[in-house]
Amino acid sequence: MRPVGFSTTPNLVLRLPMWRSRLMLFLLFFVFMLLLIRAFWIQGPGNAFYEAKGVRGTQRELELPASRGKILDRNGQVIATSLEAKSVIAYNDTVPDDLAADKVRKLASLLQMSEADLRKKLKEERKQVFLKRQVDPEVAQQIKQLEIPGIGLNNEYRRFYPEGEAMAHVVGFTNVEDRGQEGMELSREKDLAGHAGQRRVVIDRLGRVVEEIGIEQLPQNGKDLQLSVDSKIQYIAYNAVKSAVEDHHAKAGGAVVLDTQTGEILALANYPSYNPNDRRNLNGEQLRNRVLTDMFEPGSTIKPFTVSAALEKGVINPNTVLPIGSSYLVGKKPITDTHPNGSLSVAQIIQKSSNIGAAKIAMNYLSPEEMWDMYSAVGFGQAPKIGFPGAVRGTLHPYKKWVASDQARIAFGYGLSGSLFQVARAYTIFARDGELVPLTIERSPDFKPGTRVISAKTAQEMRQMLETVTQPGGTAVKAQADGYRVGGKTGTAHKLVGKGYGNKYLAYFAGIAPISSPRISVAVMIDEPTGGSYYGGDVAAPVFSTIVSETLRTLNVLPDSSVKQATLVDTGAADTPVASAKIHHVVSKK
Amino acid sequence: MNRATLTLLSLLLICALSLVAAQQRARKLFIALERAQIEERQLNQDWLRLEYEQRNLSKSARIRDVARNQLHMVPISPERTLYLKETK
Repeated sequence: MRPVGFSTTPNLVLRLPMWRSRLMLFLLFFVFMLLLIRAFWIQGPGNAFYEAKGVRGTQRELELPASRGKILDRNGQVIATSLEAKSVIAYNDTVPDDLAADKVRKLASLLQMSEADLRKKLKEERKQVFLKRQVDPEVAQQIKQLEIPGIGLNNEYRRFYPEGEAMAHVVGFTNVEDRGQEGMELSREKDLAGHAGQRRVVIDRLGRVVEEIGIEQLPQNGKDLQLSVDSKIQYIAYNAVKSAVEDHHAKAGGAVVLDTQTGEILALANYPSYNPNDRRNLNGEQLRNRVLTDMFEPGSTIKPFTVSAALEKGVINPNTVLPIGSSYLVGKKPITDTHPNGSLSVAQIIQKSSNIGAAKIAMNYLSPEEMWDMYSAVGFGQAPKIGFPGAVRGTLHPYKKWVASDQARIAFGYGLSGSLFQVARAYTIFARDGELVPLTIERSPDFKPGTRVISAKTAQEMRQMLETVTQPGGTAVKAQADGYRVGGKTGTAHKLVGKGYGNKYLAYFAGIAPISSPRISVAVMIDEPTGGSYYGGDVAAPVFSTIVSETLRTLNVLPDSSVKQATLVDTGAADTPVASAKIHHVVSKK
Repeated sequence: MNRATLTLLSLLLICALSLVAAQQRARKLFIALERAQIEERQLNQDWLRLEYEQRNLSKSARIRDVARNQLHMVPISPERTLYLKETK
């Protein structure tokens, strides 16, 4: 018998199968392999994810704000500018629930809202709540001093319009997001807006910027825009229109002033207007830019163009006499004049604004095509290309569709329509010796060549006739301006109410000044004057007079009419403002 | 350890310390730059605000009001104006 040791008793020998240790070895190796692959993955291809995670903790992308461009008038005066205004934001998860009552009260009073409203806003579920946008700088400073956790201030821009109502329709306004909504702010949005930039920075544990990694996109500020409008002349025009509308209890009014040499729009005024700095309770009436967007029948202001077409054709001259009579039947309705005349010369037809005369010139001497060519050449039926939102083209039906009564009525301004702006533009042909000048609302002070519509001779003859309108015997003696010879044409149009003409009127005056060397073309419209006269010569002509005399003085134009000089008394002491205001010295550069 | 190792070690130490110093300086300068930029923006804003205020004070409506009501001036009229011709 083989001796058997205690420790080696064959009964206790475990016979483990070989595969178990192999399996163990393999599993261990396999897991280590997995770890190794993972490690390589993280180091290699999977790295970007972790890198991004790391960056997120330490880097931020910040916006570099761009400011909106300013809008300036022709003399570089600011008419729209963006100033910083803070917005108050509540981060509701940070604002403590047990906020001291006096702090809430103070904040509410600074934000001009009730305490209950404020508390409601602070309890809202959203993370961020705008408590108030665009607060004044002083208010923002006081809110900061309250040191309420979770109440933050955000930089924003707010648009300011120093000219207020007078310039409202020209400039327009922007919304709270700083996007243009009306006027030039809307039509030049692209240039004015600019682009915000972006930069990447390193931040520390407390969120402070410690290092800049780089600028990813440079901010681009909006471009400044310089308009052709003169804020002084604009103010003159706006004030003149406003007081006329108030005096005549009219519904609305408008005026345009154009520089006939350069084609620049010097003023474009509308009333009623609004304050672009405070746009609560705005209504459509206030927002309407009547001068450009309202179509009306131009009435007698069209007569000079009818007469020009006939003069140009050489079939009449200013002294040709036509029999007028008290009525003239073309089609079904007879044409009448306000004051019957026996017979009138062509010049007198313009001076007295005879409907029968204008209709007879059209019917006896002109074809519909010749008339259409003239009205169309001076811009009726085409929208003016000045890049202004909503400028209307008016209606001028094709001459082939005209019947005899249409032709006769169009000759004195019924049956076609246009905007006041188109009328003012058309009158530049008389100022420019027959050329129609291209218009612009951006400053460009050089003389512009125009397109010839009528000959210089016809334009000069028309100028003389237009001047007689403002002289004794004409329809608009009230259009005379102190110191300047003016010429123009009145218009009184029945307003279309529904399908027919009601008892509502539009009073116009369009003209040029000074007659000896015209510099400006002005058109005025007063809508529905009530209480007293509604004639263009009584309602619109005085507005024209005010605008012309004040504008020409502003432009330093030498008076061309003889003025009776007041006797100058040298008081010796010019210390009181009244005395020093007595004598003004204007040096002419001629 | 031989001498070369010691020299290299001290060089390494100096480099490491100067890196820290440079980093610190860069951060300080950066903060100064940030401050200056904020100030620039602020000054720019101030300028815009002052320009706006100046415009507000010099607008036609206010000048007219002050001239008429406070200084009791009257508008220019041609009969009280003396026009002088400039001789060349």
